[in-house]
Amino acid sequence: MDVNQYMGMFLEESREHLQTLNRCLLDLEHDPRNLSVLDEIFRSAHTIKGMSATMGFTSIAELTHEMENILDLLRKEQLKANSAIVDTLFKCLDQLEQLVESVAEQTETAIDIKPLVATLNKLASGGGAEEVIPEEPGAAAISVNGIKLDETDTKVIQAAKQQGLCTYNVGVNLREGCLLKSARAYMIMNALDEIGDVIKSIPPVDELEKENFDLSFNVIVITDAEPEKVEQTLLSISEVDAVSVEIINDCGNAVVSPSAAVIPSVEEIIQAEKQTEGQNKPDVSPVVEQHGPAAEKKLKSGQSVRVDIEKLDALLNLVGELVINKTRLEQIGLNHKLSDLVETIEQMDRVTTDLQTVVMKVRMVPVGQVFNRFPRMVRDLSRDLNKEVNLIIQGEETELDRTVIDEIGDPLVHLLRNAIDHGVENPADRQVKGKNPVGEIRLIARHEGNNVIIMVEDDGAGINPEIVKQKALEKGLITPAEAEKMDTADAVRLVFLPGFSTAKTVTDVSGRGVGMDAVKTKIESLGGMVDVETKINEGSKFKIRLPLTLAIIQALLVDVCNEIYAIPLGSIDSTINITPGDIKTIQNQEVILLRGQIIPIVRLAKKLNAPEAASDNKEELFVVIVHMGEQKAGVIVDTLIGQQEIVIKSLGKLLAGIKVLAGATILGNGQVALILDVGSLMQ
Amino acid sequence: MEETVHNEEIQLVVFKLNRESYGISILQVQEIKRMLEITRVPHSPDYVKGVINLRGSVLPVLDLKKRLDLPPGEYTDDTRIIIVKMEDVTVGLIVDAVSEVTTISSDSVEPPHTVVSGLSAQYLSGVGKLDDTLLILLNLEAIVGVGADMTKAS
Repeated sequence: MDVNQYMGMFLEESREHLQTLNRCLLDLEHDPRNLSVLDEIFRSAHTIKGMSATMGFTSIAELTHEMENILDLLRKEQLKANSAIVDTLFKCLDQLEQLVESVAEQTETAIDIKPLVATLNKLASGGGAEEVIPEEPGAAAISVNGIKLDETDTKVIQAAKQQGLCTYNVGVNLREGCLLKSARAYMIMNALDEIGDVIKSIPPVDELEKENFDLSFNVIVITDAEPEKVEQTLLSISEVDAVSVEIINDCGNAVVSPSAAVIPSVEEIIQAEKQTEGQNKPDVSPVVEQHGPAAEKKLKSGQSVRVDIEKLDALLNLVGELVINKTRLEQIGLNHKLSDLVETIEQMDRVTTDLQTVVMKVRMVPVGQVFNRFPRMVRDLSRDLNKEVNLIIQGEETELDRTVIDEIGDPLVHLLRNAIDHGVENPADRQVKGKNPVGEIRLIARHEGNNVIIMVEDDGAGINPEIVKQKALEKGLITPAEAEKMDTADAVRLVFLPGFSTAKTVTDVSGRGVGMDAVKTKIESLGGMVDVETKINEGSKFKIRLPLTLAIIQALLVDVCNEIYAIPLGSIDSTINITPGDIKTIQNQEVILLRGQIIPIVRLAKKLNAPEAASDNKEELFVVIVHMGEQKAGVIVDTLIGQQEIVIKSLGKLLAGIKVLAGATILGNGQVALILDVGSLMQ
Repeated sequence: MEETVHNEEIQLVVFKLNRESYGISILQVQEIKRMLEITRVPHSPDYVKGVINLRGSVLPVLDLKKRLDLPPGEYTDDTRIIIVKMEDVTVGLIVDAVSEVTTISSDSVEPPHTVVSGLSAQYLSGVGKLDDTLLILLNLEAIVGVGADMTKAS
């Protein structure tokens, strides 16, 4: 069978499934009992196995097959997803990735999967008896008691939890030789009643009164008091030997109660916070138990079609053409006063506009596609560096054009690595500083106007502007005079200079002094900006501003000597009218004063060598105030035509070197208009 | 190039610049358009007339007479833009008129150094004889500057 034609699809899908596996495995690590995640892992692994077997990649198929064995045991709860298993599975994923990449590069590097297969087999055959079910966490905490909670009880506990009350299982041991056991029990019940509500006792209250118990009994109590307080209260009663307070339900924290030691029917409340309706009833068998939520939480995967981006570009081009031809038809209709035609064209106008929007939307992908791989990376990296980091991702549904998505991965990896390596401190240092030993890194995406903002925030050490200055001086990146003048924000921005690195030691992770410079260059090549805010000991925040798409932008069309130019709206502050008298000259540079700010003037006609520079003797001048970073400039144009969405076209290889132009676009009438590059206009 | 292979037929698009006839290989010609609206591109070399919209793509257009240092002339109804494609570069060339597509034998093509025509030799690939007229064959790669940055070349 000729498999080559499916190769592209195989590679792409394998990578996608590996991505999913990585993500799900992380989830599983945090929540080993989540069967729906396990199911998803199983499905992805199974798909990879099937595909690779069909394509004849036996090692991939074999490895995934062994993984499936483990996964199957996990699913049947014959194994528990402990760290050894999860680690091994992660290793399998890494190896699978290598295998898939070697397929992609068509290199026949023999990657030996045997050691991993052996480890998997060992784990599957119950490597380590302590891993084998049944074994419940917390079972050892209670010595002699099992408690049967019925449906009503669990509901009461649920309700209490919603009111912020805790549920404890209080075990009381009376002193040996205690004479009035029932009286003591009565006092204990009374004391508990004062601080909360007793919902159950084992043995039941009437048995306690008849002294039908040994030296110990258990009480389930709902209270707002601390466990310590409950303990204290009970210990103050005489002849009480020992009190154990076990939290059954601590507003989100859930612990399973008793052991199988005394009472054969073991009941438990599992992760009360996870319990959904219909799940309130605890089951006798822990195996059956979690099928409920697993089914409910099954992740939806939408139907989709894989399309080559070039085809979408072609589609966009054609739609653009359609729009242009429509405009021509409109003109004909108007010229010849054909009302029928005009009406039809209005109809067509709506359709083409919709079509254009849809095509644009098709090209948009959620940034989640890029963010997906970061949790795994952060996990591995923080482990390597012995740091504890919690990665919080927000706004992964924010959409960006495919062209931008493909490019932002690397810069973000860099920023995240920096945040973990330089930002977040060691747990010990953090504790000294009075911070949570677990560092927090936030990766946030959101829309802001016509831009998408991506922020990488850490709550680490921050960047010390003085050290940065010092370093920059040492490396000769700035002069002492410059350092003197520099304010804090500017000093911190020095990290973006080429050849800058503050890491004391060059690590595998970062510190080679190429990082931030590369990040900045990349972002700027995408038409974006990157900035940093930092506070010592509070953390740093890197803010990336990206255009939604590289293909279509909002622009202001202006007329200069009967030529039409487009200025990207993103770099326009405002437009104003001035008279020639408003223009002053400072050191041979024309400037205007706008709201107390001196702004240099650029005469566009002159700058563009326009054939007829006639704008000099006008009464009124239109000025477009543009900005690039902190710099501003006023661009004098003849007329403002209006704002329009334009499709950016390349000027082609031959004309690529012209600085003031960022590209070209085709206007509604088919005419080509050039797009100005604001940055180089200012120079 | 076809010109270098002996005893082969070459198909040429023949066009006029002023009074002279020129030829380029038909394999390099994508299409021939009537004069279109051209947008001037500031800071480009003077022989770059501007850019046009060809079914949605933006193409540079060269004024061939200016490029070859020939005396300029008015555009007429006969003026055409020949769209030529080399490697990954597509450009338009403005010519006075396109006259015909013809076939000549590669034998009848002489190398450019034997010719005195006032054109800088680097833009020529040879001279062909067609009946009793001379056909100047152009080296498009050199004219368009494929591989060289045109903005720096000027």
